[in-house]
Amino acid sequence: MFYTIIEQVVNGIVSGSVYAIVAVGMTMIFGVLRAINFAHGEYYMLGTFGAWFAIEYFDLPYPVAIVIGVVATAVIAVVVGNIVMQRIVGAPAEAGVLATLGVALILQNTVILVFGGSYKFFSGGYIEPVTLFGFTLAEQRILIIIVGLIVFIGLELMVTYSRIGKAMRAVSQNIECCAVVGIDVRHVALWTFILGAGLAALSGVLTAPVNVSVYGGMGELITFKTLPIIIMGGLGNVRGTFVAAMILGIAESLVATYVGLQFRDTVGFATLMLVLMWRPHGLFSAQARF
Amino acid sequence: MTEIVRDQTVTAAEHKVATGPDLRVPFGLGLAALACVAPLFLGNYPLHAIIIALIFLLPAHGLNLLLGYTGLLSLAQAAFFGIGAYASALLAVHFGTPFYVNFLAAGLITGAIALPLGIPALRLRSTSFVMCTLGFVIIGQAIAKNWISLTRGDMGLAAVPRPYFALGPASFTVSGTVGFYYLVLVIAALATLAVYLIVRSPAGRNMIAIRENETLAESVGIPTWHYKLVVFMISAIFAGLGGSLYAHYLTVVSPLTFQMYYSTTMLIIVLGGGAGTISGVIFGSLLFVGLTEALRVAPELRMIAYGFFLLALVFYFPNGFAPLIGRFWSFLERRK
Amino acid sequence: MTIELSRRGFCIGTALVGVQAMSSGAFARTEDGTVKLGLVAPMSGPNARYGAFSLRGAQMAVKEITAAGGIGGRKINILAGDSQGTPVEGVSATRRLIDQDQVDYIIGDVSSSVTLAMQPVAEDAGVLLLNAASSNPKITYKAGVGGFKWTYRNYPTDENRALIVLQYAAEKKGFTKYAVLSVDSDYGRAAIEFTKKYLPRFKSQILTEDYYKEGEVDFRSVLSKIRDSGAQAIIMYGNADSTPIVGRQMMEVGIAGKIPLIGNAEFNTEKTIKAAPKALEGAIEAAAWLPAYDSAKSKAFVEKFTAEFREAPNNHAYVHWETVHLLAKAIEQAQSIDREKVRAALSSIHYASAVGDVTFDDHNQARLPMILLEIENGKPAIKGAYSAEIDYPK
Repeated sequence: MFYTIIEQVVNGIVSGSVYAIVAVGMTMIFGVLRAINFAHGEYYMLGTFGAWFAIEYFDLPYPVAIVIGVVATAVIAVVVGNIVMQRIVGAPAEAGVLATLGVALILQNTVILVFGGSYKFFSGGYIEPVTLFGFTLAEQRILIIIVGLIVFIGLELMVTYSRIGKAMRAVSQNIECCAVVGIDVRHVALWTFILGAGLAALSGVLTAPVNVSVYGGMGELITFKTLPIIIMGGLGNVRGTFVAAMILGIAESLVATYVGLQFRDTVGFATLMLVLMWRPHGLFSAQARF
Repeated sequence: MTEIVRDQTVTAAEHKVATGPDLRVPFGLGLAALACVAPLFLGNYPLHAIIIALIFLLPAHGLNLLLGYTGLLSLAQAAFFGIGAYASALLAVHFGTPFYVNFLAAGLITGAIALPLGIPALRLRSTSFVMCTLGFVIIGQAIAKNWISLTRGDMGLAAVPRPYFALGPASFTVSGTVGFYYLVLVIAALATLAVYLIVRSPAGRNMIAIRENETLAESVGIPTWHYKLVVFMISAIFAGLGGSLYAHYLTVVSPLTFQMYYSTTMLIIVLGGGAGTISGVIFGSLLFVGLTEALRVAPELRMIAYGFFLLALVFYFPNGFAPLIGRFWSFLERRK
Repeated sequence: MTIELSRRGFCIGTALVGVQAMSSGAFARTEDGTVKLGLVAPMSGPNARYGAFSLRGAQMAVKEITAAGGIGGRKINILAGDSQGTPVEGVSATRRLIDQDQVDYIIGDVSSSVTLAMQPVAEDAGVLLLNAASSNPKITYKAGVGGFKWTYRNYPTDENRALIVLQYAAEKKGFTKYAVLSVDSDYGRAAIEFTKKYLPRFKSQILTEDYYKEGEVDFRSVLSKIRDSGAQAIIMYGNADSTPIVGRQMMEVGIAGKIPLIGNAEFNTEKTIKAAPKALEGAIEAAAWLPAYDSAKSKAFVEKFTAEFREAPNNHAYVHWETVHLLAKAIEQAQSIDREKVRAALSSIHYASAVGDVTFDDHNQARLPMILLEIENGKPAIKGAYSAEIDYPK
């Protein structure tokens, strides 16, 4: 009994780390652009497709495929960022929703058009199970947890010490003041967006070996999984998002065990509503951005 | 940009007042007459497209009251659309009640469910509120899937009867596309009238005041909280009524009725037509359905083209197409 | 001014597309005897992963028929309609195919909810609706003598499937304790309903019951629970794309090779087995068709499809390919494209499919042989083919 609970918590942390890497990108984008990005899951999908393409068509090893997936997504993000996302800065929320929905439709269905709609198998990665402290995990999952930690620490350092990181924090707090003191808001917005999209792609490539199936519409589920996390974590709050992702991962795992897998996808939004009733600004105040 | 959007809407409204009754009355009447005789020259497929547009018009009117007049962005329309569809279908399948009973019950039930949901949700601000309303859709679908004794879960409710009316011993069933077209046309016209009356009433002015500046509205004595709650409920009722029409028209209700698809569609209709205008929303629903159907000429490119259309809408027509209609009027006036 | 211009151009363009689309139907009717066949399937959005195979299968069949000189000299023309897996879109696509493109026959949809919504539309128009991939039993409960005269289904219902799988698992393997892990759709839910109906007959029980959402990727929690529950097999009626994920995670939680999968979710394809060989060993599946099926016609199909599209066909590709051929045979036998005659021909058809003889019962439901297979040494081994009459609710 006790062992089961511990094991399910471990399972939760494993899925939580995946959510964390995707969500952290989305929350940073929100912080700077103030836009709910309904296309965020599509970058996850693009990253996975990039890596799948590299492995399937050029027979490249998995580590190289990771780089290709992330770089390809970043290139697309530069285009989307320049054409679309920069223009949403300061626009009303509904404009952001429609624009990102449009981007999602275009990216998703272009991939379907180019690669065909059918699902593909992702064959790279390290899928052998290993036993660690009595828990069996695929090697890939250990990699995911490690990368999750690195991303978290890296982002913390970046927003605290680097110039662009400080600019991101500044923009997320007050756009007008940044413009006054000479911070190029559009430039910061673009870089934040590229970074966020790149992180989504990274998590896509990292999870592809354990998730196996690759198809054009796979991003949508990720978007909906991520939305409650970023709200719970306090929009634009990196630390909060990590904690919220872990809470959701563990809660989902426990619900899947003790209630039923069919209720799993409601956990995110149900938890969110409970949290919001108790703390309308999320678990962690949105004031502590990044 | 938010401010700009709203200023222009106000200007458009003032513009109407300034020019008074003009070409719009005859034009509107002409359009209504055209709608009445449409089945004479339109085939089943265009009629079907218009029926869908008119069914979507109801939830869109609801969302417009919420977003366009009160300034609250909600994605919950799909949840209320689904509740209305289930309510209506369950009544029709289990009790065989006539259409008008199902239809009105769908509205009432949806409104009754929306009220307790609105109380916690409306305490939230901006993005949190949007996500909370999105949550209603996700949880609504889970309930539809898992409350099998009531909803039959994923098997759905099939063979929902076509609308039938019973008055005393006489009864007749609306069947066929043309019959349904007139039924939906009448309901849509009544709904539009209802929205018009709400908007033109003092309550409508207070709603706009809340949209423009909630704190200020509160300071001049408008009970903003009650207003928002009531408008949220009314918008849900409209969605529920639309759901009822959907159930009787498509004859199938399944958990798929609780889909983000409907929420985003309503949002596209309202923003595409022009939030805060009634004619804009009517135009928006026709435009939306016309466009998605027109794009069927190229099935593979359809959704890509639709995505580009959304981007064009946001960036070139941030106020929707309503200002365009306004400009059309002034153009006609100048020629007069 | 430039913006102004582009805006105007944009509006006019949009309007023109609309007018074009609405008016093109007037000229669509051709009287040269071409067979017009509509195909409704999800082709965009997340569900496109099911629609893509359907369209390819059907297109390949059309190509073959054309290459063979058409149906008794008649050309066949396929028109696609996108349903997105949503009833309202599916009905719009159907309406368009019927009224605008003037098709006489429609094949579709994959999703049962969409098919159920299409049924009355096809019935009102008197257009033949031949379903090839929806498994909701209601579709044919309501068809034929049940009401909808124009609906036919060339796809097995889940009732036979559930019985055959359970019988084999109980009698040949001696299983009595099961865990359920099926897809949360009408397919997964209905198959488990039928399974429960037959459980007492084999003195078996279900210990845990879970349904996964389409596109779910994380099964670790539920698989750990199943491992600790003492179940002897996992009953899974699911989607093909989820099976490799489940297989890999079964390896992770250490139940691969200990608790086999039974049911139907494309356990037998080469790719699936390759993704998680240890987990799929011993899997038992009842399928309408499988790529490894040993008949000349089936082998030729697999070969041709793989050559044409660079990927192996799945079940959806096969059923749509076969259904187009089935329809062509009916038209050929009717010696006419008159819908009424083709319908009559379909009701009395004896069609030699790649897996056996196909006939329709009085509910317009195809009687199809169900193939039972078990994965042995990484290869599907066929254990028999079963066919049974459906027990319609009175």
